[in-house]
Amino acid sequence: MRSPNSSMWLKGLSALMLASLTLAACSGEGVADSDPGGASQDSQHRTSAADDGPFGKYDPPIEVSFVRDLSDVVENNVLGVLKDETIDNNRWTRLYEDELGIKIKYDWIVKGNSTSDQYLQKINVTLASGDLPDVIPVNATQLKQLADSDQIEDMTELYEKYASPFTKKVLSEEGTSVFDAATFDGKLMAIPQLESSMERAMYLWIRTDWLDRLGLQPPKTMADVLAISKAFTENDPDGNGKKDTFGLGLTKALWGGAMGLEGFMAGYNAYPNIWVEDASGKLVFGSIQPEVKKALQVLQNMAKNGEIDPEFGVKDGGKVSEQISAGKIGMEYGEQWNSIWPLQLNRDNDPNAQWQAFPIVSESGETPKVPLKFSTTRFFAVKKGAAHPEAVIKMFNLHLEKNWGETAEFDKYFAPPEAESVWQLSPVTPYPVKKNVDAFRAIDAARKAGDFSTLTGEAKTIQEKLEAYAAGSTEGFALWGWERIYGEEGSMGIADQYDKNNQFLREKFVGAPTPTMVERKATLEKLQNEAFVKIILGEPIDKFDQFVADWKKLGGDQITREVNEWYESTKP
Amino acid sequence: MRAKWRRELPLHFMIFPGLILIVLFSYVPMAGVIIAFQKFIPAKGLFGEQKWVGWDNFEYVMSLPNFTQVLWNTLFISSLKLILGLVVPIIFAILLNELKNNLIKRSVQTAIYLPYFLSWVVLGGILIDILSPSGGIVNDFLGLFGISKIFFLGDNDWFPFTLIASDVWKNFGYGTIVYLAAITGIDPGLYEAATMDGASRWRKMWHITIPGMRMVIVLLSVLSLGQLLNAGFDQVFNLYSPQVYESGDILDTFVYRIGLLDAQYGVATAIGLFKSVVSFTLISGSYFFAYRVAKYRIF
Repeated sequence: MRSPNSSMWLKGLSALMLASLTLAACSGEGVADSDPGGASQDSQHRTSAADDGPFGKYDPPIEVSFVRDLSDVVENNVLGVLKDETIDNNRWTRLYEDELGIKIKYDWIVKGNSTSDQYLQKINVTLASGDLPDVIPVNATQLKQLADSDQIEDMTELYEKYASPFTKKVLSEEGTSVFDAATFDGKLMAIPQLESSMERAMYLWIRTDWLDRLGLQPPKTMADVLAISKAFTENDPDGNGKKDTFGLGLTKALWGGAMGLEGFMAGYNAYPNIWVEDASGKLVFGSIQPEVKKALQVLQNMAKNGEIDPEFGVKDGGKVSEQISAGKIGMEYGEQWNSIWPLQLNRDNDPNAQWQAFPIVSESGETPKVPLKFSTTRFFAVKKGAAHPEAVIKMFNLHLEKNWGETAEFDKYFAPPEAESVWQLSPVTPYPVKKNVDAFRAIDAARKAGDFSTLTGEAKTIQEKLEAYAAGSTEGFALWGWERIYGEEGSMGIADQYDKNNQFLREKFVGAPTPTMVERKATLEKLQNEAFVKIILGEPIDKFDQFVADWKKLGGDQITREVNEWYESTKP
Repeated sequence: MRAKWRRELPLHFMIFPGLILIVLFSYVPMAGVIIAFQKFIPAKGLFGEQKWVGWDNFEYVMSLPNFTQVLWNTLFISSLKLILGLVVPIIFAILLNELKNNLIKRSVQTAIYLPYFLSWVVLGGILIDILSPSGGIVNDFLGLFGISKIFFLGDNDWFPFTLIASDVWKNFGYGTIVYLAAITGIDPGLYEAATMDGASRWRKMWHITIPGMRMVIVLLSVLSLGQLLNAGFDQVFNLYSPQVYESGDILDTFVYRIGLLDAQYGVATAIGLFKSVVSFTLISGSYFFAYRVAKYRIF
């Protein structure tokens, strides 16, 4: 059903996210365990009250049923390589059985990843049939429906009792909001698998070879950004004597992880598409605030001046990436991985093209807020009446412990070199959300100390890529792109800086979609994107006020009320 | 009677598996239309305690802003597609049939059939390039005649016609082949007799070829009328953009966004049922009409 281009884009994105997850490890504290047998860690976890701690073992073993997806990566790059392991019997299932006495049984396994249509359909059918497994991975909407129809266990006390201190620390690294999302009437109804919203941070990617050719400096304020955009359009940065370049790249979708507008708008203190707190402590929708109008006015001027492709309104990410690849666009806002896609395409075409991520800037020159959309979409709920509802929590404990804890066996359970995605064999896959920036910090520290021998896990793997790039190797995938992320002037350095400066502005509404949201979201999104695209392309800016009035009338006011009711209910 | 029954019995058995499949996969699922009258929550199950809401889902859709416009877009785009999709292949088939040179005839036939095999996903990308106002070959060509640049995919006046023209272009090769087959089925004796009587080419075309194709024309138009509310999801979905929502958003894309992306299955089913009822009425109506007027029966 999806358009191929957008699905290609999504595939690219998920491949990248997988890649970065694959290489994920906590290098800072990941001191390799010198006792691979695991005898010492057993004694460490198992106190005398063995069966009832976070790592207590069931004796005799119990059986817990799951459902799962089987992605191409797991099928080909993991199971295809590890000949003596299967999806039902592998190092993770054996680990859970040996350490915890939990036998994993899959009611069904569907090919495709967890966001594929096949998987979503199968999950919906499972919900509709009422034949639930013991542990069921669901999204926010499905979780609310299950909670409302009283089909799942209350996990509040179980989580308190069985989650290990490390699990609690990892899952609350982004504050309480992820638990708010899984809490109904004060009861925690599922264990959230926290996704890093920090990875959604925006950067300003600029072609620095163009900057140098035109004698420009990196931007400090929005005025600088606009000046660069103008120069990239008018001063023939590619030196071909034609006015055929654009300052800023954007797509018809307007938003997203690459070639989006979120970072640009944030420069004007505008935070479209997310719910933010206003001065009075109420939640308001970012898209209808006057700051957005101002940002749109600026974009309209840029479009009038030819700095934005007049045809961007019909081009999706795939099409715009072709323009970038052909060297027609000099700036774009996007996430930390943009150097791998789409910018690497440009580099492949033109070895002289150089891009660099810069921190987003504000109009006034003050440090801007970096908006982060809430991105946790996977919650593990337990069927009502399951014999051992706490089992899934113990599995969370063990997964985190074995990969990032003190007894971690990174090379066995997370990413052994021959099969980097082994961690995906586990049905639950929580991870510390700052793993990528931690890897950067480790590499950076090693770089400054001039000693890379201390690196382990993910950091080590990345450092190998950086070295391959430095040595001029042409083997391997997107080495330049990796260097632009983790190298000295890489985007991760900026993430580090954002984090230290406390620049993140997290989305405040994290609950399941409200009733009116479900009914009207599509209508309101259409209204918004139609209005914004038309304004950028030259319709009078007053159309924005019309949009705001329509938005409120067509359900926006009602949604705002519901969102605030939810917000009130999460406050103690 | 008995003998006939015995002779036909194996035939009945042969049709049986097909019949089972049709009942199982086409008739049984029809019971699912009850979802159209429910506030359907998947987690409660297909047979669970769903809330009955009567016609609420239908009223909800009709009350949505833009619904009339979406319906109008759908009817406008699809009726023009139906008419041109019928007329263009007929004319082409007749013209091709008049060609004496078999090589040219076959080559043309193959060439126009080719786009039929491309998916809209692929064609969407190609069209965006060739219709581009900056550097697209179509606009460059029009520029030779002093016609100013047209933004085919971004201009609300042009977008529906771009859809219609590209759809007809993609599919007319297929129709042409069907009609050519119908022409081949006409008894050559009729043409010979007409030639003896001194009929011109034009006369033969008008009095033999077209009446000879009549059955196929009626059949295809009756069947295509059922598609009146299908303006082509694949095509529109791959070509439209926020800029042309007002002229290009059709029922299917509308339902896709509201019903499927937001998991409002009740609403999606209601629209599906609405479309089925309209199609059913149109097909049976036109079939009845074809029988009364042309004494034509398909079955």
